[in-house]
Amino acid sequence: MDSQIDDGAPAETSDIDPGERALVAALRAGDEGAFAQLIDRYYTTMIRVARMHVATREAAEDVVQETFLGVIKGIDRFEERSSLRTWMFRILVNRAKTRGEREARTRPFSSVAGELDADERSVDPERFLASGRWSGFWAAPPSTQHCPEARVLASEAGARVAAAIDALPPAQRTVITMRDVQGCTSEEVCAALDISEANQRVLLHRARSKTRAFLEQYLDERTGVH
Amino acid sequence: MLQPEIRCVEFVETVTEWMEGALLEDERLALEEHLVICPHCTEYLEQLRLSVAVLRELGTDDEPPAPDTRQALLEMFRRERRA
Repeated sequence: MDSQIDDGAPAETSDIDPGERALVAALRAGDEGAFAQLIDRYYTTMIRVARMHVATREAAEDVVQETFLGVIKGIDRFEERSSLRTWMFRILVNRAKTRGEREARTRPFSSVAGELDADERSVDPERFLASGRWSGFWAAPPSTQHCPEARVLASEAGARVAAAIDALPPAQRTVITMRDVQGCTSEEVCAALDISEANQRVLLHRARSKTRAFLEQYLDERTGVH
Repeated sequence: MLQPEIRCVEFVETVTEWMEGALLEDERLALEEHLVICPHCTEYLEQLRLSVAVLRELGTDDEPPAPDTRQALLEMFRRERRA
């Protein structure tokens, strides 16, 4: 069922977007602005990913610095068979795991596995009918309202949504940030966290379900439903 | 009215797999049939999509690196590319 391979080998598919190709070319040409772009866009996510494997913020910063060094040194040999992000996050996760093992920690597994094992419902079970012919159908459905546009909501409640994301368990927060905030592909997320496609979907599902619940509550307050 | 193959309580648990294109053909059809008959799950899906769109609007990650960290990385780039 799961046709994606995640054995650490470079991806077979190559749908590198033109912007990224230009970025790679600029990095090879020694363009500092291109490197600055990479830092500004991914530094925080990289720290977050590294923190899932190592104990301290300082260790994570070291790992991220080593990763950037690896990127600088390796960019000429980078074959563009996977995206730049996938490649970068593979370097990161390898270094972070090595460092984490040296620290004799098993955080990544306990943290990702712990989040996967937890039995979570996407919606409060009380909101569904419990018996009768329509058991399992909505008892308290999401209210239909005239929804504002995403742009409007983001400017109105962006900080609150960001805070809600920050409050998610680490693996879920990392997955939803990479996928939905930064627009990474599932392949890139799998490479970064060293998890399977199926597990990536579970984490994404939980994170999105909670974010939706938060947004629903916000929309209800906004229109005075509750 | 025909009893649909999946109920709302299952819809909310499988919707991400559907959005990700990870369902088997018959599961996909069951979910899509449910959407046709259920305005509440359609609304639920709209809210999910809206929350994804809001996150996309946020667009940037939270705090950037501290200025001296950023500076140190840029210096490393300069040094290495020169070498």
